[in-house]
Amino acid sequence: MKVETHKVARLHALLWGIFSLGGMIAAFLLPVMIYMTAIAYPFGLWPFSSPSGCLYCPTRDPSFLVTGHLLGALFIFVTIAGSLYHGIFRFQTTLTELGLLKYRRALEAVGYFIIFVGIIVLGYYLVAWYLNGTIA
Amino acid sequence: MGDAKRYPELRRRLSYRWWTANRHYTMYMVREWTSLFVALYSLMFIYGLSLWATGSRADFLNFLKNPAIIGFSLIAFVFTMYHAATWFYLLGAVVPVKIGRSRTKPWQALVLNIILLIIISFLAIWLVVLR
Repeated sequence: MKVETHKVARLHALLWGIFSLGGMIAAFLLPVMIYMTAIAYPFGLWPFSSPSGCLYCPTRDPSFLVTGHLLGALFIFVTIAGSLYHGIFRFQTTLTELGLLKYRRALEAVGYFIIFVGIIVLGYYLVAWYLNGTIA
Repeated sequence: MGDAKRYPELRRRLSYRWWTANRHYTMYMVREWTSLFVALYSLMFIYGLSLWATGSRADFLNFLKNPAIIGFSLIAFVFTMYHAATWFYLLGAVVPVKIGRSRTKPWQALVLNIILLIIISFLAIWLVVLR
């Protein structure tokens, strides 16, 4: 019983540790990621703008973030996986504070399922592209 | 007789609207709800990648140019910046650095980390796009 409690406490510490790491990732890396994909690219701003007067200059788009080189793919994985874990973990805790405490187990199950599937799918695409040589 | 029986735990039942009781609670709840936008943006990006994996690169790029996606992402950007600011402030409150006899204030951690955020953002753009 005591060993079990110790194990649960250690698991909790680990999960909250990953949550904090995800919070740092979401704070430092997610803003620039959203800027690049949702502001700079659709509105043609730096770094995706083409130099003025240059019709044939090669321009990059957000697909370069994913398959441009390995560092970009790692950036995507760390940012999205960390933010997903942090976001879901924090949101399910918030819901328990809004009167859903009795559904805590169900919320945790759904939350961890989304995190697990999301990270596996993201990792699968990136690894598959890397093995196919799509990621330079 | 066990302590649990002698000293029963009294828990005040909170209404689900407890966070409207004062401004501090409300701001706490707003801060917590930023996580929903962080999570939804991440899921949205993974969905965009799945369009690319099962279709073409153009599908992914068109998805990013969809007005609804841009609109949601802009809201997510505002909430993510709010998350960043409150996270930096909390860092300063939870782990103040001791310098001589004084300790750093939370707002100092906020300013320092915002400068770091700007440097990291430029560095990330240079490393993953411009290099």
